[in-house]
Amino acid sequence: MSVNLPAACFLAAVAIGVFVEAIAGAFKVWTYRSRLFLIFNIVVVFGLVQGWGVGWVIGGHGALRGVFPVLFMVGAVLGILTEGLNQYWLHAWSWSERPLFGISRAIDKSAVVGVAWGFAPLVTVLLARLIVKASVGV
Amino acid sequence: MPRLSMMDKIHAAIFAVGGSGLVCAYWIAFFHSDLTLPKFVHNVTNPDVVRLATVYMGFESAFPLADLLVAVTSALAAFYLIGRDAKAVLFGLVASGALGFLAFIDISFNLLHGLYAPANLFSDTGLQMEAVINVGCVVGATWSIWRLWGHPLRRAEDRPSRLRAMETVGLDAAGN
Repeated sequence: MSVNLPAACFLAAVAIGVFVEAIAGAFKVWTYRSRLFLIFNIVVVFGLVQGWGVGWVIGGHGALRGVFPVLFMVGAVLGILTEGLNQYWLHAWSWSERPLFGISRAIDKSAVVGVAWGFAPLVTVLLARLIVKASVGV
Repeated sequence: MPRLSMMDKIHAAIFAVGGSGLVCAYWIAFFHSDLTLPKFVHNVTNPDVVRLATVYMGFESAFPLADLLVAVTSALAAFYLIGRDAKAVLFGLVASGALGFLAFIDISFNLLHGLYAPANLFSDTGLQMEAVINVGCVVGATWSIWRLWGHPLRRAEDRPSRLRAMETVGLDAAGN
């Protein structure tokens, strides 16, 4: 069964989301107010927004070399927006008291993780291309 | 903690929309359409223009990594400004400085290669858009730096100023 690139981007981003949330959950980096927010974050924010929306729309056409900074830029800007919405308005997840890479304030943790969201579409596109290649080979 | 004034809200919106959103939109359009390109890059009949178009495209293609710094620091400035955090000043100054720097490099390139010569500018809507972006970036960066320099959040973290202010009201460094 062959998988097309948009679907592969979505699947790859969801897989990254599951991995990140599993790590964060294991080390109690952040905790969700409700399990629904966790599912929403993995499916909508990771899968649809960062994977399909950013990964495929920007990085799904042609050569990747020049577009890498744009993938990171858009991923990080949307990530900071996501973290900002949570920090000031939604409060869907909250940070543990323990420092994260030496950062103790919640607002700074949100900012750093917001920028780190930039890696999501980058890794998504690379992973998605591997998924497509593997699916064609099967 | 200083309140978020109406001007701070406008400033945060400018960082979020102008510094982050429009920069992202510009580069998405650059890689996926001809919307941002000047007309002359499509001219394949004149070898001199073809050579200039090659140089221009190479020059423009070097910008995304630098604009990444502008977009991310602008988003962080907006994020911290909404949170009334002093880091808004730090990221705002970095973003504005980087934006002004990139705008001047772009203006310099366009002037040195004659792209802003009246004959070219009046006949090419792509160059007109670029001129508007360049002017907008310089004006926006200058205004932002000027405003952040005197911002209460900067003074809140500025230890020498705070100490001077405390001395004026007769307090020691510990606030007693």
